[in-house]
Amino acid sequence: MSLSAATSSPRTRRWQPYLAPLGLFIGLAALPFVVALLSGQSPAGVLANEAGSAKFIQGLLIEIMILAIVALSYDLVLGITGLLSFGHALFFAAGAYLTGVLLKSFGWSLGATLGLVLVSAVLQALLFGVVLPRVKGITFALVTLGLSEVFYIVVQSRELGQYTGADVGLQGVPPPDFLNPTSHRLTFYLVTLIFTFAVYLFYRLFVDSPTGRVCVAIRENENRALMLGYNTFYFKLVVLVIAAITANLAGTLHALYQPVISPNIASLNAMVDILLMTLIGGLGTLTGAPIGAAIFRLLTFFLDRWFGESASFMLGVVYVALVLFVPYGIVGTWQRRGFHLAAGRRWLLGLLTGRGDG
Amino acid sequence: MAADIILETQQLRREFGALVAVDNVSVKIRAHTFHSIIGPNGAGKTTFFNLLSGNLKPTSGRVLFKGRDITHLPLHRTAHLGIGRSFQITNIFPNLTVVENIRLAAQALGRDNFHFWRHARHFRRYEERAAAVLDQVGLAKRADAPARTLPHGDQRKLELGMLLAPDPEVLLLDEPTAGMATEQVPELIDLIQGFQAAGNKTVLLVEHNMNVVMRVSDYITVMHYGQVLAEGTPADVTANEVVQEAYLGTLYGDVATDS
Ligand SMILES: Nc1ncnc2c1ncn2[C@@H]1O[C@H](COP(=O)(O)OP(=O)(O)OP(=O)(O)O)[C@@H](O)[C@H]1O
Ligand SMILES: [Mg+2]
Repeated sequence: MSLSAATSSPRTRRWQPYLAPLGLFIGLAALPFVVALLSGQSPAGVLANEAGSAKFIQGLLIEIMILAIVALSYDLVLGITGLLSFGHALFFAAGAYLTGVLLKSFGWSLGATLGLVLVSAVLQALLFGVVLPRVKGITFALVTLGLSEVFYIVVQSRELGQYTGADVGLQGVPPPDFLNPTSHRLTFYLVTLIFTFAVYLFYRLFVDSPTGRVCVAIRENENRALMLGYNTFYFKLVVLVIAAITANLAGTLHALYQPVISPNIASLNAMVDILLMTLIGGLGTLTGAPIGAAIFRLLTFFLDRWFGESASFMLGVVYVALVLFVPYGIVGTWQRRGFHLAAGRRWLLGLLTGRGDG
Repeated sequence: MAADIILETQQLRREFGALVAVDNVSVKIRAHTFHSIIGPNGAGKTTFFNLLSGNLKPTSGRVLFKGRDITHLPLHRTAHLGIGRSFQITNIFPNLTVVENIRLAAQALGRDNFHFWRHARHFRRYEERAAAVLDQVGLAKRADAPARTLPHGDQRKLELGMLLAPDPEVLLLDEPTAGMATEQVPELIDLIQGFQAAGNKTVLLVEHNMNVVMRVSDYITVMHYGQVLAEGTPADVTANEVVQEAYLGTLYGDVATDS
């Protein structure tokens, strides 16, 4: 019957998509102990923060998860809502720098720091929101890139050097003891893991919510959404706020984890990396973002090793190959059970030029 | 008399460069009537609709809804007044399912647009409205198909369903049967007429099929080169010599070449 077609058992279907992530979560939480066992360490050593493979793996996964959070937040903006922004690195970098400066130069507690990072994240989103109704498509992307570049230049300025470390980067950020990634690696790992999955879970729910469906509609055909009566500006603003908060908090994790916060995380290069991660996984899939982040991290590792100086050239080659031959990314291609090159290229071109679906 | 007028244009004009697509059109649409706009290809009917719905801003002139000037209303406000429109060229969310296209149309005017984690399907009102509309337009069986995979005729039905879902007071229908198989046309027109009569709606219809127009319309406006050539009941228009000479013949010719 028609009604059943439109409303078939939301409850049973709703939980299905969360089973695999839940399994992955449990697996990742157990992984350090498994690795310890396999490498002849004792699991108790993991709790005692012993050096070895288990600690190394946690470090690698922390880096991947931080990238995954950023990629997820970018997928929400570009992949789900179709809003082409090239200023996303700003969100991440601002969170990292603000965390670093407040902890190091001002001696703030982590709680107070998080509070200001949240406020600053909302302000960044509002800044983008001021631009939003004024310019469309690729122009919005370029203006947001400009905002991000301003930040990139400002953090490297000598005037702010005592706070930001100028072009050398911000060093010696003191993480709180209980969350020190060197002495309490497992805690840091688990906190990052929980945060990553919380973000993913919230994003999944969001995309299926009334607000999220309108965001997808905006990506599909914004003009039609407007005509139905949706003030699309507010939906895009909501997405920017959510994404900014998420990416800023990833920046906080980055600041706590890395010995140096490099200004490069605010550069165009960083933006391109974020885009590449979402492209690898598949734009608009959410699931693709963490997969893309993992592949990207391993890819850069090996490309650096094999090609040294020309690694970034090889990364460019990967870019072009993806756009041309896997336009829907790994997850998108898998979901469609095929590459659909022509349709995929058109779709991707539409998204990457801010024109929506053509 | 004036209280009867739900939609009115005053000297409405839209130019595209040197071309005057809508040339000082002043029309009054009476509430609860079925009003058709006819005219040959390029007469300016779609442009006129775009001006009414806010998709285009006029070069000059005004649009009044219930006496209120809505000429410069932002596009997304029009729907909230109770004005809905459908498009000559199908305008849907291609990668969303059929039911979701309709549900989004139903949800737009509700108060649930800013819920961030409850599943959209738990908002029963829109689910039920979508299911009812799908039944009405005969797409219930295709509910879960991606809209882009529908054949053209079904996409036209979807287009109509998206118009009906929010239950607008005024319906602007731009060639709802465009490109449909001839045998499907009466069914769709009957549906529109039924909706109009049952809900006491106001319908503004652009349609090339003269048999349909003559049968369903209370009033007809004839457009030609952006101007209003004639106006009146179907009988008035049929009897109008200017219309007959200048236009009715060519229009029938158009219909023949269209199909
Ligand atoms: N965006 C535009 N830019 C330039 N010219 C336009 C535009 N839209 C319409 N026109 C021109 O305005 C005139 C009126 O077009 P319109 O689409 O309103 O006619 P119509 O009566 O709807 O025709 P049809 O019966 O073919 O749908 C045409 O000459 C058309 O080429
Ligand atoms: Mg037209």
